[in-house]
Amino acid sequence: MKNLNETMSVHGDVFINGISCISPQPTFDNALFLAEVKVHSKNKIYTVEPDYSKFLDAIAIRRMSRIVKFGTTAGLTALKESGAEKPDAISTATGYGLLEMSQRFLQDCVASGEGIVSPTTFIQSTHNTVSSNIAIIIGCNAHNNTFSQKGFSFESTLYDAFLMMKEGAQKVLIGAYEEIGEFNYASMLQANELKHEPCNNLETFNYQNDGNILGEGAAFFVLENEKRENTYGKLIGFHTFLSTDDSTIPSMEIETFFQKQGIALTDVDVVLTGVNGKEVFDKALLAVTEKLFTTSTIGAFKHLCGEYMTASAFAFWLAAKMLKTNTVPDVLVLKHANRKPNIILIYNQYLHYHSLMLFKNV
Amino acid sequence: MRVFIAGKGTVSAIGSNCIESWDALRNLRSGIGRISVLPTIYADALPAGEVKFSNKELADIAGMDARTSRTALISAIAAKEALLDSGIDIKKYRTGFISANTVGGMDKTEIVYSEYLTKKSDAQLTGVMHHDSGSITELVADVLGIKDFISTISTACSSSANSMMYGARLIKSNLLDVVIAGGVDSLSRFTISGFNALMILDNKLCVPCDENRNGLNLGEGAGYVVLVSERVAKELGKNLDLILSGYANANDAYHQTASSPEGTGNFLAMTGALKMSALQASQIDYINLHGTGTKNNDLSEGLAVQKVFEKVPFASTTKCFTGHTLGASAGVEAVYSLLSMEHSTIIPNLRFETQMKELNFSPVTTLIENIELNHILSNSFGFGGNCSSLIFSKTTLN
Repeated sequence: MKNLNETMSVHGDVFINGISCISPQPTFDNALFLAEVKVHSKNKIYTVEPDYSKFLDAIAIRRMSRIVKFGTTAGLTALKESGAEKPDAISTATGYGLLEMSQRFLQDCVASGEGIVSPTTFIQSTHNTVSSNIAIIIGCNAHNNTFSQKGFSFESTLYDAFLMMKEGAQKVLIGAYEEIGEFNYASMLQANELKHEPCNNLETFNYQNDGNILGEGAAFFVLENEKRENTYGKLIGFHTFLSTDDSTIPSMEIETFFQKQGIALTDVDVVLTGVNGKEVFDKALLAVTEKLFTTSTIGAFKHLCGEYMTASAFAFWLAAKMLKTNTVPDVLVLKHANRKPNIILIYNQYLHYHSLMLFKNV
Repeated sequence: MRVFIAGKGTVSAIGSNCIESWDALRNLRSGIGRISVLPTIYADALPAGEVKFSNKELADIAGMDARTSRTALISAIAAKEALLDSGIDIKKYRTGFISANTVGGMDKTEIVYSEYLTKKSDAQLTGVMHHDSGSITELVADVLGIKDFISTISTACSSSANSMMYGARLIKSNLLDVVIAGGVDSLSRFTISGFNALMILDNKLCVPCDENRNGLNLGEGAGYVVLVSERVAKELGKNLDLILSGYANANDAYHQTASSPEGTGNFLAMTGALKMSALQASQIDYINLHGTGTKNNDLSEGLAVQKVFEKVPFASTTKCFTGHTLGASAGVEAVYSLLSMEHSTIIPNLRFETQMKELNFSPVTTLIENIELNHILSNSFGFGGNCSSLIFSKTTLN
C-alpha cells in the first residue's frame, strides 16, 4: 500500500526574484502593499487594470481581450523586475481559459447559424494564448506549458518549474490568469454559488449571505535557483492533495508535509487560508488550520481577490510581499498572533483541490 | 532513470480500441468521412474523422452518464483501455492522471449557449458545469479511481505530447510511480467554425505532405499511455521493452497561428528530444510526422526535418486516417507509434501523390512490414508556437 509519506510534495529552495500582480486590488504598483484596499459592491469583482500602453503596442491593446492584456502584462513586468530577459522556461495556468473570446466566438457562431465568422476571437480563445504571446514578445524559444486543472492549475506550474530547475533551468517564469466571463458568471449565479447582491468583498466571511464572490486576476513570478538583491523570499516546498470529504479535512496530509519539510507547525508564523465565503468549506478549512497551527497568525485572502480557480497565485504574491516587507497587513488577518512573517504557509482550497505552499524569508 | 510504457489505449474515427485501430491502419482504412453524429451545417461540406458512436453508445461503453460531455466519454474509454492493458493495480502505486484537451466541455456549452442567447438567465445553465478543460480530466479520474494527482495541459495541438512529457518527469523525479498520460478532444461546432474561419480545412479528404495539399480534416479521439518507473516496470513482471526515451518542448516564438518559415520550434523540439535520448539522428527508424495537411505546417515541419536529418528516415502522418484530433493527436499518434514498433510495421501516408517541391523527401506510401523499429520520433506542433517531440525506443528491462 501507498503511505502518506509518498504523496505528491516537493522540497527545495527556490528564490522568488520577480513578481507582478493585477487583481481586483491596486496591486500592480510593487512599491505599495495593500496601502489602499478596494471595496467592491458586486458578487463578481474585476481587476483594476493598469495603463497598458507602457507594455503593449497600440494595435495589441485594441485587439487583445482583457485576460490576454493583463496576463501578458503581468508576465512581462515580473520578468522585467527580475532583470531576466528570457527565462529558461515559461509555465502558466488558467482554470477557465479565455472566456471572453470563447464566448464572443461562440456568439458569432450561434448568431450566424455557423456562418462565416472572423477567426480573430477564435485565435484568442485557446488556453495557451497568453503563454505563447509572452514567448513571442520576448522571443523565447524555451519550454512553454499551459495548465488547466481547476484548483491544481497554478500548482501544476510549480511542479513544472521545480522539475525544470532540477533538470538544469536557472530561471523559470510561472504565472496564472483568470477572467470572469458573463456566461459562466450567469451559470454560477443560477447554481446558487454566489452571494446575493448587494454584498461587499470585505464581508466575504459573513455567512448570513453564504456564497462566493467571483474574482479574477493575473499573478506572475520569476523563480530562480539563486538569491539576488531583489529576492522576495524562498518557496521551500509545496504539496497537493484531493479530498472529497467536504466536512473533514485529513490533518495527516498537512502534518506529514511538515514532517517532510523538517519544520514544526509552531514555526509557522502566518497561515493564509483559502476560505471563500461558503460556510460548508470554510468551517472545515478553518477547523483543521486552527487545530494544527495554534500559535500562528491565521488569515484569508479571497475577500480581496474573490474566488477563482487560480486564486492561489494571488496568495503567492501576498506571501512574497509579506516576506519582503516583513509585515502582515491587518486586512489579511482573521486571528492575530503578532508574529513577524518569517515562515508563511498558504493553504488553499478550491472544492476538492487542496494545496499547501510553504515560504521562508531570506 | 528510464520511463517504461506499460499500457496504451485509443479511440478515434478508425476504432474504439487498439485492436480495431491497428486493423484499420494496416489495412489502410481511413475513418474520415461525412459528419453524422455532430449536428452541424457542415456535415456534408467538411469531411472529418468522427468517432462513430452517439453519446449514449459511448456512455454505455464508458459506464458513465450519457449527459456527460463527449470529451469525457471518449477520454474515459481510451484511458480505461490503457489502464486495463497495463494490468496495474493503482491502489499499490502513487498514480497520476495527466490529460490534455483544448475543447473541454464545449460540446455541452455550445448547446446551452444557444438557449442562453434567447432566454438569458431563464435558460437552464447546468450544462456548462464541465466547460473547463480540467473538469473533463476530473470526471475521467473519478471513473479510473485516481486520487493522487491529476492535471491537464492545454497547449493546442501539442497538448498531449506535453502531458506525456510532464508525466514522465513526475515519475523521474520520484513524485509518482504510475501516470496515465495523453489527451482527448471531441468535435464541436465551435472548433469546426474556428478552423473554417482560419481557412485551413480541406473540403475533400486531406492529402498531408503533398505538394497539392489543401488543408486539414478535423477529427476527434483520445490516446493514452501508461507510464511507469523502472521499479514498477520490474514489479509488473511483464518484460516491458518500450520506453519514452526522449522528449522536448520548445516554442517557435513567431506567430499565434502560423509556424515560422524555417520551423525553428519544430527543429528545437526534434533536436532536444534526440539529445535527451542520446541518439544520433541517423538512429531514428521512423518519424510519425505532425503532418496536418496545411500549407504552412507541412512545409515548416518538412524543412525542419531536413535540417535535423541528413538522410530523412521513413516518415508518414496518420492524420490521413483519423483527421487532426488536435489536443488528442500526440496521444493517439503515440499509441500508433507503439503499435508500429510492436508489429514491426510502418503505416503509410494515404492519398499521397506529389512530393513537395521545397523538400528532398517524400512520405512512405505503401505499408512496410517486417521492419525493425527501434526508435520512433513523433512530432506535435500547435498554435501558439507550441512544438513538442517525443521519442519511443525499444530496450530491455534488465
